[in-house]
Amino acid sequence: MKKSLAVLLSSVLVFGLTACGSDSKESAGTPEAGGQEQTTTLRIYAQYSDEDTKGYYDYAAAELAKEMPNVKLELEVQAQDDGQKLKSYAATGNLPDIFNAGQDQINLFRKSNNILQLDDYAEKMKFKDNMQPSAMNTLYADDEHIYAFPYAGNEFVLIYYNKELFEQNGVAIPTTKAELLTAIEAFQAKGITPMSIFAKEKWITTALYDIFATRYDPRGIKGLDSGETKPSDEAYGKAAQDVIDLVAAGLLPKGATNLNYDQAAALFHEGKAAMFVNGQWEIEASTKALGDKAGYLYYPAPDQAMYEQNKLAFSGGGSPGGFAVSANTKHKDLAAEVASFMALKYAEFKYTQKGSPIVATKVDMEPAKAFDPMMVTLSEDIPNITSTTAFAWGLSNAKFKAAIEDASQSLLMDGYSAQQFVSDLESALK
Amino acid sequence: MNKFLGNKTAILLFISPALLLFTVLVFWPILQVFYRSLFEWDGLTEGTFIFLDNYKRMFEDSLFYTSLYNGLIFALILTVLQISIGTVLALTISDGLIKGRKLLRISFFIPVVLSITVVCQLWLAIYNGEYGLINKIFEALGLSYRQDWLSNSKTAIFAIAMVNAWQYMGYHFALLLAAARSIPEQYMEAAKIDGAERWTAHWKITIPLMAETYKFCLVLAITGGLNAFANMYIMTGGGPGTSTYTLTYMMYRSAFRVGEFGYGSASAAFLVIECLIVTFAINRLVARERIVY
Repeated sequence: MKKSLAVLLSSVLVFGLTACGSDSKESAGTPEAGGQEQTTTLRIYAQYSDEDTKGYYDYAAAELAKEMPNVKLELEVQAQDDGQKLKSYAATGNLPDIFNAGQDQINLFRKSNNILQLDDYAEKMKFKDNMQPSAMNTLYADDEHIYAFPYAGNEFVLIYYNKELFEQNGVAIPTTKAELLTAIEAFQAKGITPMSIFAKEKWITTALYDIFATRYDPRGIKGLDSGETKPSDEAYGKAAQDVIDLVAAGLLPKGATNLNYDQAAALFHEGKAAMFVNGQWEIEASTKALGDKAGYLYYPAPDQAMYEQNKLAFSGGGSPGGFAVSANTKHKDLAAEVASFMALKYAEFKYTQKGSPIVATKVDMEPAKAFDPMMVTLSEDIPNITSTTAFAWGLSNAKFKAAIEDASQSLLMDGYSAQQFVSDLESALK
Repeated sequence: MNKFLGNKTAILLFISPALLLFTVLVFWPILQVFYRSLFEWDGLTEGTFIFLDNYKRMFEDSLFYTSLYNGLIFALILTVLQISIGTVLALTISDGLIKGRKLLRISFFIPVVLSITVVCQLWLAIYNGEYGLINKIFEALGLSYRQDWLSNSKTAIFAIAMVNAWQYMGYHFALLLAAARSIPEQYMEAAKIDGAERWTAHWKITIPLMAETYKFCLVLAITGGLNAFANMYIMTGGGPGTSTYTLTYMMYRSAFRVGEFGYGSASAAFLVIECLIVTFAINRLVARERIVY
């Protein structure tokens, strides 16, 4: 009796342990005609938080299911948390097989041997051949190696404007700071918000500052990040003063630092704000809301000469990032192949479904709908763009990134001076 | 019983599970924070031992002083509002002079059980500069006192502290009500016979007899204020600029936004010391003699 009880308990224990340990990523396979095929489950960490980001993932995952039916993806939704969840995964040795990584994570994980170098895979899979020549900067990290397969391309910060509001109120499209101040005054007199911005997010305040910094020095915040320029350079103090002056004149809505995207975009989309700052990915939403009334303008400069000189020096740009592979995955080859496939499909979705030709890789397909007129204009501008800078998330110096995000948001507050701005950046770069 | 209490082995045996849990979950991480604060460490790779350099840097960092100041402001507002209003509410309910006491008791406690995210979203709408309730009230009263409560660096920290004070006032109310109810009625009856007014009797009898509870409430309010994080994370993201940073927020920024876990640990270690000093001071200064009814 005792013996049979022991056998029974042992069986239960073994069964239990087997069940508990069933997170093995290789399952027993799906019966196929003519034999069994191994199904491999890969954990993937990707954006999947709203209709926009879900579309990318669903499209790429569906394509993967057709192309590689032996691969099953286990999605982990990417948190909007400055990468802290991913860093925690890395610290505990639990990184997903494939993860969406930006410059910050690449730099950190590279040092700690958490990210797989993909040079050989990119070579083998001819990923380089798929790249747009103008987007090679999104493929190579600072050390000239590949750590992620990009899809986003070089993106830009645009100042959108409502053509109808400008026309109806007799306001000229501003090319200089003085003209922008005139426009602010004219719109305020009519009860229209001159420019809407979701300044609760600090990256967009950095972009706003960068817009004005590029008028003096096309390298903008990227120059500071790379160490080519210093905060004490005249350009940076002057740009800070421009933002302060314009905000004091009433450029932004009241409580701008507490507006989220939905609130700020609604002001522009509903015709209550004349201008709006966002990346070029806003083109689709603005066109949907305003149709032909929406356009983008070239950034106003301190004077006409500087306006002409830096007209096509854009804020924004690209940085290394995309789908990366964990150095500790059990399925390095397969994960690299899937990461590359997902990146290509993300770009394909953006090009064909989202109406954006701004992608890192070539897409050999026709778009599902014609590009929006603003996108066509931007596409015509792109070959003539003289320089780009960086988005806040593309900055390589994390300390500087945090400092400029805080300091550029401070520029929107009363009592914060350009000198203080410069001094705060200098402290961060020490 | 005495024989059992004298058995040191048995006592050690029985307290060891709790002691072990406390050590693993609380004491060891705190020691790790102090240890890691002596390193330049990105959280992943091997750190470099730099001894007290993180502390030296912290005392030269203007963000540290902003954070420290904000924490103290937060603690002050929480202490004053939660304990004073909590006392008034508790004594009013305990006196039994108003109707609907059960409903009020539940109502006062409702915010405590609400999610902090829900509470913050609610107050974000109330504070809104354009259509927020507060500005609308000023407007209705004919007062030109419209404010961008959360976008103004001078008012934001006060506005956020008010939200936290409002949410956890019910918790202090519940503690103080329990304390007030545990005071034997004959003390109040004796006071009444001696001709004391109701509030005089509370001032002279009830409140002093609740000193032990006040001690606990003080520790909770002050350390809660110094530790504040979630409200500013949800409502302002530490902004505008750095105007609503506290030491906990500074720790979060250093560790998770900048990747300087050693420096973040230094601000966390300072916070631990600050809270310990406050707790020690309260224990020394308030209700030094245990009150027995």
